Amino acid sequence: MHTNNWAVLVCTSRFWFNYRHMANTLSLYRTVKRLGIPDERIILMLADDMACNARNKYPAQVFNNENHRLNLYGDNVEVDYRGYEVNVENFMRVLTGRHENAVPRSKRLLSDEGSHILLYMTGHGGDEFLKFQDSEELQSHDLADVVKQMKEKHRFKELLIMVDTCQASTLFSQLHSPGVLAIGSSMKGQNSYSHHLDPDVGVSVVDRFTFYTLAFFERLNIYDNASLSSLFNSYNPNLLMSTAYYRMDLYQRHLEEVPVTNFFGSVMETIHTDSAYRSQSNKKFGGPEIKMPLDQSISDNDRRILRNSVDEDQPNKLSTEENFHGVGQLWNTIISKVNTFESADTFVCYGLGSMVPLLIISVWLSS
Amino acid sequence: MSTKTETPVKKKNQKKIQCFWSWVIGSVILRLIIIYFPKNLNLSSRPEVSTPLTSIRRLAEGYWLKQSSMSPYAGSMYHGSPLLLTLLGPLTVKRIEGQPDHLLCSLVFVIADVVTAMLICAAGKKLQAAYSSSLQSIGLHHLSEDSDILPSGDFAALLYLWNPFTIVACVGLSTSAIENLMVVVTLYGACARLAPLAAFGWVMATHLSLYPAILIIPVILLFGYGPDAPPRKLFRQRTNLEVDDSASGDRSCLEDELVNEKRMLNVFSWRPVVLFLFWALLWSSYVLVLCGIYVQQHSGLQEMFKSTYGFILTIQDLSPNIGVFWYFFAEVFDFFRSFFLIVFHGNILLMILPLALRLNHRPCFLAFVYIVLSSMLKSYPSVGDSALYLGLLGLFAYELKDMQFSFFLFSGYVGVSLLSPVMHNLWIWRGTGNANFYFATAIGYACLQVLYLFSLISGPLLVLILLLSLFSLLLFLN
Repeated sequence: MHTNNWAVLVCTSRFWFNYRHMANTLSLYRTVKRLGIPDERIILMLADDMACNARNKYPAQVFNNENHRLNLYGDNVEVDYRGYEVNVENFMRVLTGRHENAVPRSKRLLSDEGSHILLYMTGHGGDEFLKFQDSEELQSHDLADVVKQMKEKHRFKELLIMVDTCQASTLFSQLHSPGVLAIGSSMKGQNSYSHHLDPDVGVSVVDRFTFYTLAFFERLNIYDNASLSSLFNSYNPNLLMSTAYYRMDLYQRHLEEVPVTNFFGSVMETIHTDSAYRSQSNKKFGGPEIKMPLDQSISDNDRRILRNSVDEDQPNKLSTEENFHGVGQLWNTIISKVNTFESADTFVCYGLGSMVPLLIISVWLSS
Repeated sequence: MSTKTETPVKKKNQKKIQCFWSWVIGSVILRLIIIYFPKNLNLSSRPEVSTPLTSIRRLAEGYWLKQSSMSPYAGSMYHGSPLLLTLLGPLTVKRIEGQPDHLLCSLVFVIADVVTAMLICAAGKKLQAAYSSSLQSIGLHHLSEDSDILPSGDFAALLYLWNPFTIVACVGLSTSAIENLMVVVTLYGACARLAPLAAFGWVMATHLSLYPAILIIPVILLFGYGPDAPPRKLFRQRTNLEVDDSASGDRSCLEDELVNEKRMLNVFSWRPVVLFLFWALLWSSYVLVLCGIYVQQHSGLQEMFKSTYGFILTIQDLSPNIGVFWYFFAEVFDFFRSFFLIVFHGNILLMILPLALRLNHRPCFLAFVYIVLSSMLKSYPSVGDSALYLGLLGLFAYELKDMQFSFFLFSGYVGVSLLSPVMHNLWIWRGTGNANFYFATAIGYACLQVLYLFSLISGPLLVLILLLSLFSLLLFLN
């Protein structure tokens, strides 16, 4: 069952002329936060040398549009890996969860088998590789291995990989783990282009693919249920000047049924129970029944996990029922009678109040 | 002659009653005046007044937890009875425009105090009637008529109402007022031999705080023997004297009289006791069913018992109070903790039997001694507990008129009640003192109560109790 959302946003470039990659990542960071994912569940990896760069005319401000409407570096940006910490080793450690003991929790991807993870990577890439900070590269089979390890360790339920680099779709060509959806900004042999140059800042401030992604999301808020297929179909190859290619053979669900907030926001399925929240020890008297959402398909993993927890309850229930069979029946009848009142509290109030006349009558009778 | 002596006595009694009601109303007015001071003079935050068991703030917290559909015992704030929550919980929330907060709660406690005083008065009247009838059976009835005996019931009731400890406990919104009410209901029911009333009081008092459970022994003795009577030896002495005087009289007649008197005195009637036990069973099952219904949504009776009785017995909260346990258990090692818990609770249990054996002919006085014992040695004492026994002292005032150390005790109580807030302030608010300052006043208070206890009881029991208490004090000082 889908229980939480994580986002791993990686900008693999540094230096002033790669301003747009950082603006891409920060724009996605802002969108994802706006739609509900909190900072504790975002891993942001940036070189982070733009905002306070000596060449930045607007110190501590990063824009993704020449109209300078949005300052992406303004509110509450939490960067988890910055500077030279953004390297292939750390990237793979984050995804697989194999850290040294001293790594703090804020730098770990603490996902579980109910997590939906968004993995967004931007920077300079090529045929089956992605360049990390001008010194290393991440290859497509590395990425495929990492995702395979994550799947084996039940670190995600569904994963969306979004890549905005040149020849982006080659990066996920080697993936073969189920539950993964991937989209790249361009196909093999194509480049991905920047959208426009900001004459004031002096560099290009945003890439096309990310620009049109943001244009799609700026219209949305947390309550909208626009589907992934509408997002993917919104990319116009003429405007992008490349073909946005997505791979859905590893993903079982239909894209029309999946809302974008499943990955880009943090909107959960709500399960309605009629009764008030009860504690664990009250299972004997019948706890609330959890109604499974019928429209959501449950993978085999989840079904197995759920069945185990139900099986644990059964032996306990049986043994206690055998012990207190007679008393339990009497108690259950009392409880059922009580539940005809609006609340047990008023019943107890009446009970307390009726103690006084009972007392008076008994005293009068015995004197 | 008798008419001349009767009318002045009657007038005096009537005069006493007129003054009595004015004193009662005066104490109620005093309480209401203090209630109207801002925030009840912050008395409800004093550790001497409100303990984890009796604090009204914890009750309000428990009520709020219940209203938020959680167990009222969650988080270890509230440790009292669910029935108190039903009664006082909504009152802590209701606010009346222009009146101080908690006005309704304060009114409940004032009413509880007044009802307690009335019941003490009635119990005192019953005791006096029993005393005079027992004197009559010996033939000393003229003693009680000649002397200017003030009605001990009225005296005790006024002592209870005007005791500063009671006033402070009432205005400080400590639920010990209701616990005291239940204990006095038990005593009155037992003195008047009303089995349902006594059973109700005993069940409710045990339910609210665990310690009145030991009162079952004096209550059973009261139901069996009747209210306090002088020792049997006195009766046998009297009859022997009569036999000697009329040595020439009819032997058989005197023997018959002797046999009759002996039968009158030594009989322990089991029927009222069985009736009392039956009613106790009835009331306790009623209370348990009500509590079970109240807590069944969240956790069940087991958690309730763990949070109330378990909390009292295992002393989980070590915040400072006027008792001595908190200091000791803050420094004891975990390995020895259960051992010392058994020792300290056994302190009360071991004293029950000797006292019962010695004082079985005076069960009301035995109940009073048990109350002193439990308020001295309970895990979270407060001034509300001592208010009860200081008030009940008035019932036995004439039997204790030659109590030793009375001035020393009085000044001791005054001194401790003045010094204890000062030491608390020095320790917690100013930081110039430490826990030993406050603990010194707590130890002084405990010693005072020990002295009080064995100035009540004379005889070889004195030595036993003195030894036991010195032993426990040595343990504390270690």
